[in-house]
Amino acid sequence: MSYRYVIPAVGLIGALAAGCSTPQSSPTEGTSGASTWTPPRTAWGDPDLQGVWRYEGTVPFERPKEFAGRELLTDEEVAQRDQVEKDQAANRLAGFEGAAVGRRSISESPIRGNEYNSFWQDHGRPRRVYKQTSLIVDPPDGRVPYTDDARKAEARSAARYGVGPYESFLDPDTGERCLTDGVTGMMWQGPNGGHNQIVQSPGYVTILHEEYRDRRIIPTDGRPHSSARQWFGDAVGRWEGDTLVVDTTNFLDRTNYEWASIWTRPSETLHLVERFTRVDADTIEYKITVEDPATFSAPWTAVIPILRLADDTQIYEYACHEGNYAMPNLLSAGRADAARRQTSSR
Amino acid sequence: MRTVLLALYAALGVLGAAGAASGHHAFAAEFDANKPIKLRGTVTKMEWINPHTWIHIEVKRPNGAVERWAIEGGPPNALFRRGFTRDSLPTGIEIVVEGFQAKDGSRKGNGRDLTFADGRRLFLGSSGTGAPRDGRDATEQRR
Repeated sequence: MSYRYVIPAVGLIGALAAGCSTPQSSPTEGTSGASTWTPPRTAWGDPDLQGVWRYEGTVPFERPKEFAGRELLTDEEVAQRDQVEKDQAANRLAGFEGAAVGRRSISESPIRGNEYNSFWQDHGRPRRVYKQTSLIVDPPDGRVPYTDDARKAEARSAARYGVGPYESFLDPDTGERCLTDGVTGMMWQGPNGGHNQIVQSPGYVTILHEEYRDRRIIPTDGRPHSSARQWFGDAVGRWEGDTLVVDTTNFLDRTNYEWASIWTRPSETLHLVERFTRVDADTIEYKITVEDPATFSAPWTAVIPILRLADDTQIYEYACHEGNYAMPNLLSAGRADAARRQTSSR
Repeated sequence: MRTVLLALYAALGVLGAAGAASGHHAFAAEFDANKPIKLRGTVTKMEWINPHTWIHIEVKRPNGAVERWAIEGGPPNALFRRGFTRDSLPTGIEIVVEGFQAKDGSRKGNGRDLTFADGRRLFLGSSGTGAPRDGRDATEQRR
């Protein structure tokens, strides 16, 4: 068994995936509906999606170039990756955390993602390896179909990361300002791992997302979209068989998620369709289709397997403004940088 | 084979670390990667606040002066889920902090690696968290 060809591929995944990860058995396998598993129902007869869920996979959002033309890993590749994940979890439990979290020296690596050691992190369960080579399943190349302008905006966003300008509290992105990272990636992204609690009542599905205390109250009573534009748009839900379909329009174009890729940034023409299907007791197949001519040259679809956490899993407060020392610190750092630039230009 | 496996671990691990640490603010906006710090100090307070914890320590310099430093840690919710409680880092205990100083030169830094003064790691008494490959961690031998 040779790992030789795996390593560069995995390295690239690491480089590209900053921020997302995933694990085992293709989530798309669950879409056939041929499963013998019968999803539970609520007392009033709706499919029951309630619980605390998070994404625990290692699948890159966009398909790495190494996997161009390949939608799935081989069984052997899945087994190799799965073993590494299990060994990593064992290493963490044994206290061997260095290589287990891929620590590299500051000089060797970009600082992003390397600023805190594993002591600070919630490792949770071993991450799951899935066969998918990208969360994006359409277009077939597994890449975000950005318009040319959006690609330029993406480059500007990346260049601003950690660099600024930080002249005002409005310059940091909306996440740094403790507001939100937006709704598009909410179900599978988050600094604490993206914990989501789903609660249902007749006519409503409510989702509480731990980071930023984001919450969405989604009516499923057949009402039409309202005309109000909001940061999270206007979401209306409906049940199609065992699937919850959430259709969201009327987004407000006031956010700048500079940190995240700009696919998370809504414009007023964004149309987001999310499909939640419980494919087994512990998995929701979460499928999003994103359409926005202001940013994308075509609609795109991603399939994300979201896993159920233990029944006693709690969602904690976030209260981000409570201690967001980052804001004064990065503004004072901005002043220090400006002073240095002035001195060096003399 | 062993080195190959370690490389694979490392490559996968980068992804994991990036995934876990992503979110909120950019390190480079706040801290200076060219100003590494290593402080031995006594804990005066730990702030369990979102989005990041802050540990306050007093550092006694050789000339007798006492400096107060504030050290940024990871998110409290993640720490709590990991089993860290407010008893884990009691006031008065001596710790060693390695990290990077704030860009504005004030006595603030990020706490990349923390140990108790006797070298024990805060978790599990492990041999090392393997801050930039420092050889302290059994899994971190250089190729």
